[in-house]
Amino acid sequence: MDRVRTREALLTERDPDAAPFRFRFSAMASVHEIHLWGTDRAHAERAARAAIADVKRIETKYSRYRDDSVTSAINRAAGREAVAIDAETASLLRYADRCHALSNGRFDITSGVLRRIWDFRRRPPRIPTQDEIDALRPLVDWARVEWSAVGVRLPDAGMELDFGGLGKEYAADRAATICREHGIAHALVNLGGDVRAIGSRADGSPWRIGIRHPRNADATIATMTLDDEAVATSGDYERYFELHGKRYCHLLDPGTGMPVDRWQSASVVAPLAILAGSYATIAMLERERAPAFLRAQNVRFLLVDKGGALVASH
Amino acid sequence: MAATSGGAAPSSDRSAALIAAALALPGILPAAALAQSAPDEGVIALRYYDYRDWQPGVDRMSVRSPSLYAFVPLSDSLTVEGSLVYDSVSGASPLYHDAVSGASGRGIGDYRSAADAKVTKYFGDSSLAVGAAYSHEQDYISRAASVEWRTWSDDRNRTYAIGFGAAKDRINALEGVNAPVLDRPRETYDYLLGITQVLDARSVVESSITWSDGRGYFSDPYKLHDARPDHRRILAWLTHYNRYFAAPDATLQLGYRYLDDSFGDRSHMLEASWVQTLTYGLTLTPTIRYLTQSAAYFYRDPPFPQGFVPGQLYTADERLSAFGAITLGVRLAKELPHRLTIDVAFNAYRQRGDWRLGGHGSPSLAEFSARWIEFGLAKRF
Repeated sequence: MDRVRTREALLTERDPDAAPFRFRFSAMASVHEIHLWGTDRAHAERAARAAIADVKRIETKYSRYRDDSVTSAINRAAGREAVAIDAETASLLRYADRCHALSNGRFDITSGVLRRIWDFRRRPPRIPTQDEIDALRPLVDWARVEWSAVGVRLPDAGMELDFGGLGKEYAADRAATICREHGIAHALVNLGGDVRAIGSRADGSPWRIGIRHPRNADATIATMTLDDEAVATSGDYERYFELHGKRYCHLLDPGTGMPVDRWQSASVVAPLAILAGSYATIAMLERERAPAFLRAQNVRFLLVDKGGALVASH
Repeated sequence: MAATSGGAAPSSDRSAALIAAALALPGILPAAALAQSAPDEGVIALRYYDYRDWQPGVDRMSVRSPSLYAFVPLSDSLTVEGSLVYDSVSGASPLYHDAVSGASGRGIGDYRSAADAKVTKYFGDSSLAVGAAYSHEQDYISRAASVEWRTWSDDRNRTYAIGFGAAKDRINALEGVNAPVLDRPRETYDYLLGITQVLDARSVVESSITWSDGRGYFSDPYKLHDARPDHRRILAWLTHYNRYFAAPDATLQLGYRYLDDSFGDRSHMLEASWVQTLTYGLTLTPTIRYLTQSAAYFYRDPPFPQGFVPGQLYTADERLSAFGAITLGVRLAKELPHRLTIDVAFNAYRQRGDWRLGGHGSPSLAEFSARWIEFGLAKRF
């Protein structure tokens, strides 16, 4: 276990010899950073500007908080007509569909509707009744969503799509591609803790990414190395409340409508941020099957169980 | 294994399906990187090419040429490609000067069959390609081999290429005004250096220099008095610039070629194409090309055989005269279901002495015109 660091240093252990260009910005309700090495300021700024613009584009396009987003348009038409979609949206739906299949239905982009009864900001907190859950559960069912390469229709009024579980990681991968196409060979794109690396560090060694301690925001619990890969973490500490000594987190099993509680966090290293993020989320939802699931995907992972013990891929 | 309840496909298939869906997301893979790892898509293509040229009042030569091309990825790191071409040629060989200048060349009723193959092995940051080609005509046999090594930078935005090629030709012309030309050899060695640089997400520039050194029989056995040097060196410098424009969804392709020939002719060629994506899977590509060149030092202007001195170098081949030439072309391609693409192209070429820039064109030559039509059908798999 690494020693305690400041939050700032959690992202990466910086190479003291290199002076990266750092760009910090907010989007999707969190703070993001892009660090670029081995380039000059003008190139770095051009690459970062293009990457940040694309992250904001994805936020604008898919945010469920914006009336003019694709997500809102689809959700408004729930129970009524199909909504025409572009190729990008269709490919995200296809990806979400494959996540749904791989997780046997646990990863479901229609499950956001459960937020109506699970309010993690409410004080005092409150656990929804079984009746409330049962009333909403029929609305969580990706299998009934009618979708194709050109359109999508939610069959029942009240159903919702939410790209929140994919958008940030997708944006990280795209930002990395944009930086690379601007000639950047060494970079880290950190979107709210999901980190996509471009190449290795400038000296050829792998990036070292600190994994946040799930119960201490200022500490790392381990370090994972990245070489042209991504790491994403799903944790029970992002949004939660505690009641009668038990933690209720925002990761809800669509089968039961209840939060999962087997792991405090799941961190996964995969070639793409979107894969790392999906594997981490599915691992949380898979409960005790998580290690077997992740091994089957051939990825490196670090699970912190509810007692704080670590389960790693090797 | 992952949980096994529900779902028809085995878990490993579903894992692969997820990765495939991730890779299919737009903007996940850099375009440059895609081009430089071993392509995983095969293609088989049929083309038909129909060429005809003429001078005022006289049809010269026509060529009809079906060809077959295949590109097959054998593994993640090995690809093989090859082509077969059959040309049938009819009509007169291009004359010296023009149709009314006198002695005629022979009439051509000939064929050419050619085959080539190339194997490319991809390593982590480089590739090695080995190729061979064979071409056979009634009076001409050519055998060639080539090797090319490419390597790219860590970020894959820059590619370097080094190539070497050797060709051994044999000329055996039993007919023709200079016949018989028996078993005359020619050996040519080509050396290539190239660089490709991705400038940004939308533009790429590619430049290469080729040095060609040939020794042997270069004269034309079908042209009276034609006598050319037996050593020819050509330096060619080629640069291409491609830029994509998002708003019209189109790509601009610019090209420039400089050629310096030890025969004395030098040329500049400028080319511009606009690849416009349309609806219904259509792509329309208009092209304009301009060539200007000086004459070979042993070229003599009409009337034939003015300037001919027995025992000295001499040619009246208008391809070695000073001229300017313009090609206008248009290509229309359409994507069909089942990964089929068809395309049709039409090109018109005109060459005139007074279209030369930066010097005088060869006087008294009749204008030379050509057109070619191509049909193509390609299937990707």
